[in-house]
Amino acid sequence: MKRSLTLYTTLILGGIFVFLPFGSAAEFSFRDGGANKHSLKAYRWILEQPDFVHYLLVTLKLTVIAVVITILLMVPTVVWLHLRAQSLRPLMEFLTILPLVIPVVALAIGAQSAFPTWLQSTEYELSLMFAVLAMPYTYRTLDTGIAAIPLATLTEAARSLGANWFNTIIRVILPVIRSAVIGAVFIATALSLGEFTLTVLLHWDTFPTWVTSISQQNIVGAIALSIFSLAAAFLILIILNFTIFGARTKKVEE
Amino acid sequence: MPETVEVEIKGATSRGTLNRRNLLVLLPLIPIFVYLGAFFLFPMSRVLFDSFKSNKGEFTLENFQIVLHNPYRLAFLTSIKLGLVSALTAALPGALFAYLIEIKGSERIKKLVSSLSGVLSSTGGVPLAFMFIAAIGAQGSATTLLKNLGIDLYSGKFTLFSFTGLVIVYLYFQIPIMVVVFTPAVKALRNEWHEAATNLGATRFNYWRNIGIPILFPSFAASFLLLFANGFSAYATARAMTVGNVALVPLQIGSLVDGNIQVGGANIGKALAMGMVLISAVAMIPYLVIQRRTRRWQS
Amino acid sequence: MRKHLIVGVAVALSAAVLPSVTASSANAASAICTAPNLQAAGGMDALVKAAKAEKQLNIITVPRDWANYGEAIDAFQKAFGIKINDDNPDGSSAYELQTIKTAPASKQPDVVDIGITHTGAEAQDSLGRSLFTPYKVANWKDISTDWKDANGLWYGDYSGSISIAYDSTVSPAPTKIADLTNPAYKGMVALGGDPTAATEAFTSVFAAALANGGSLTNVQPGIDFFAALKKSGNFVSVPATGANYASGAYKIALSWSYNGPGAIASAAKIGKTLKYVTPSDAALIAPPYVQAINAKAPHCAAARLWEEFLYSQNKGLTSKTITTADTKLSGSALFAKLQGGQNIWALGAAHPIMEAAMKTKGTLVTPPAGFEIPKGQKTYSPSFDQVVAARDVVNKNWATATA
Repeated sequence: MKRSLTLYTTLILGGIFVFLPFGSAAEFSFRDGGANKHSLKAYRWILEQPDFVHYLLVTLKLTVIAVVITILLMVPTVVWLHLRAQSLRPLMEFLTILPLVIPVVALAIGAQSAFPTWLQSTEYELSLMFAVLAMPYTYRTLDTGIAAIPLATLTEAARSLGANWFNTIIRVILPVIRSAVIGAVFIATALSLGEFTLTVLLHWDTFPTWVTSISQQNIVGAIALSIFSLAAAFLILIILNFTIFGARTKKVEE
Repeated sequence: MPETVEVEIKGATSRGTLNRRNLLVLLPLIPIFVYLGAFFLFPMSRVLFDSFKSNKGEFTLENFQIVLHNPYRLAFLTSIKLGLVSALTAALPGALFAYLIEIKGSERIKKLVSSLSGVLSSTGGVPLAFMFIAAIGAQGSATTLLKNLGIDLYSGKFTLFSFTGLVIVYLYFQIPIMVVVFTPAVKALRNEWHEAATNLGATRFNYWRNIGIPILFPSFAASFLLLFANGFSAYATARAMTVGNVALVPLQIGSLVDGNIQVGGANIGKALAMGMVLISAVAMIPYLVIQRRTRRWQS
Repeated sequence: MRKHLIVGVAVALSAAVLPSVTASSANAASAICTAPNLQAAGGMDALVKAAKAEKQLNIITVPRDWANYGEAIDAFQKAFGIKINDDNPDGSSAYELQTIKTAPASKQPDVVDIGITHTGAEAQDSLGRSLFTPYKVANWKDISTDWKDANGLWYGDYSGSISIAYDSTVSPAPTKIADLTNPAYKGMVALGGDPTAATEAFTSVFAAALANGGSLTNVQPGIDFFAALKKSGNFVSVPATGANYASGAYKIALSWSYNGPGAIASAAKIGKTLKYVTPSDAALIAPPYVQAINAKAPHCAAARLWEEFLYSQNKGLTSKTITTADTKLSGSALFAKLQGGQNIWALGAAHPIMEAAMKTKGTLVTPPAGFEIPKGQKTYSPSFDQVVAARDVVNKNWATATA
């Protein structure tokens, strides 16, 4: 593998752009009563909060459900659109970009006026809405990923070689759309972990809203919590990437 | 006697007819339509409905007339400008970066970049604003560092809390979104094609002109549209970084529908939301034209 | 046969008695929910007893460091053992009303604290009925008629003035709004938020108008003032939050006086010294916020007890000095010993609505130093209509002026 100067320069420049803001805020979160003293005081304060674990689990639970809904709903849809219903793709693209364009404030008002009471009384309402909010990104990721693959050709080839539908899906389609699915999962996860505005407007309490309310009088604590949230989300995605999604990459590359 | 020959007209389809084949095609799409219908279109229909209502509940077009004038007109123009500039500044760097990582990066770098992009794509609002203030605000760490090196960021008119500042801060999530959405397309550009093209005598330029770019272009256009819509409708970050000095439609909707000063303007806010939908529909037109052209090429 | 007869009679008797038993407790419950004053609610002892039985109180958009509300919440919870749930502390008045209109029963607030401009058509449901239920607190007559609904649907609670908040390192120290044009303040002056969305920022623009040749009917000079400040580079268009202050994004801000004590304490925690001063060229006292009880309040007794508490003019025990022995006292005895909401707000540098009456009676505590309006300084208080007119001007012109 040729050592690429371009790659490493780009990575360094990119790294600076990413970590300068993050690092500056992180330095802040380690402050202890002024700019000259640093400690883990704010982070210890976080862990001492009685509801910390509770709200973390609430958000994790809602995120997992939202991501599962996304996969079950979006992957078959986009695959089918590319295989058999190409003409409907423009309509789907327009429909799926709408949740992005409509401000969350307006969507929340619509939801409050329209949804039946039983739906508004369960926090799983949020998972359903997270999947909607993630749809512009998840649809795009799956769509652009699958569009660049000759999926129809591959599928027909597999079928004409004698594979039944089940084998075609498992051995041909799924491996080939893998990276698109992973991208969609990541975006849906990150979005659900951090979703704030809709949660507040629908009167629910998740980790992000708890962070805001608990840090009303603790400026450094508030910053520490947002740094923590970002770092935790990153950790979750890294773990996913190196375990569940990591295993069989080599094989697919062949 | 001349024989009548049955000629099958190439390309003739039975599109649009309600036959069994077309219905079977639609069947697997029922879940997504039902889901979107119930959890998105249904709530939004209330918003659409209310945008035509006056405060007394009567049908009126007045809300739409109001949003055609300032300060709403200014906000539409600024929001569209912000969406375009943000998409332009993020799409190409994002695409190039995604390509570079895919082609030259090791497995570990690829995984690191994809995880990082996933996380950064959802940053925004108060935390993001604070990160940039802490870095390049008036007393930011980078500002102080540059000052010690003799460069004063604030000697001129630069301020982070302006249109320009928003474009800079938006890059923090727009570029990662580009990377996440565009990488799968790059991954599909097989190395074999490049080798085959080279073996057939194509130069690098030829490869890109005839194979690389045409294949990637539809995906690039789709990603660009997403970035535009994202920049156009971003709310939390703009709210955390300005005090009404940059007129943006999402902020105005927030003030009308969820503020402390405007009273009785909720339906105007809903008309503004419908305006945003209309603009996105119009933005899709050039995109659909591009898609049509490339689809012809692809099939 | 006999056994059946006995069972039959027992069933018949219970069928006759039970409805009236449940009806009387239901009557008791609904009686409290429509009680328009303390007397109708059965007196303080009965009210406290009923409130304690409800165990909870739902409030909405109440920041703890706003006018010392945190102390009110803590004292109430500790004294009566009633848990207070605060929905979205940073929310808006529109959010409060929207919640009443659309939230499911479990999420309904018991009481609201909204801007007075939101008491019109906004505070009615689709059939034109008020969202609130009338209730006149024991001290009702001490609230000025300008700031309360004649039928008791809503009533002013506290108001504030606009102060200049500044970091102690700023030199020279500003004393009036006109000072803010000093070139020494380049890149330092900020507003609490967007004047078209946030009351604090809007009132600041109003104060700037008064300081620059405007009046209660002419707010344009305030907008022009900030436009000029932006051009000269003094005005930095960042929201003046605590975190932004901590990171040095701004050093001077126009702010509610009653955010002062909380902000100063917060700043001290991170090693900074924040100071507040009433501008000598514009002492603007804004119209008060108003309290109201939700017609759909899930905890009717707790809601009324909270209102009586907020409008109590007593001096007494704070959250730090209430003992367990105190909590065992009878309802009215305990209530009489507690520091009332009016004084709690006064200690938060707000102007409680009953300030004038309390000054006469000598029951007002000494407000924190540095927030009083200097003796002899003329104060301005816009009327409801003047606020509405000014709001329309700001909405139209702010964005273009400060672009």
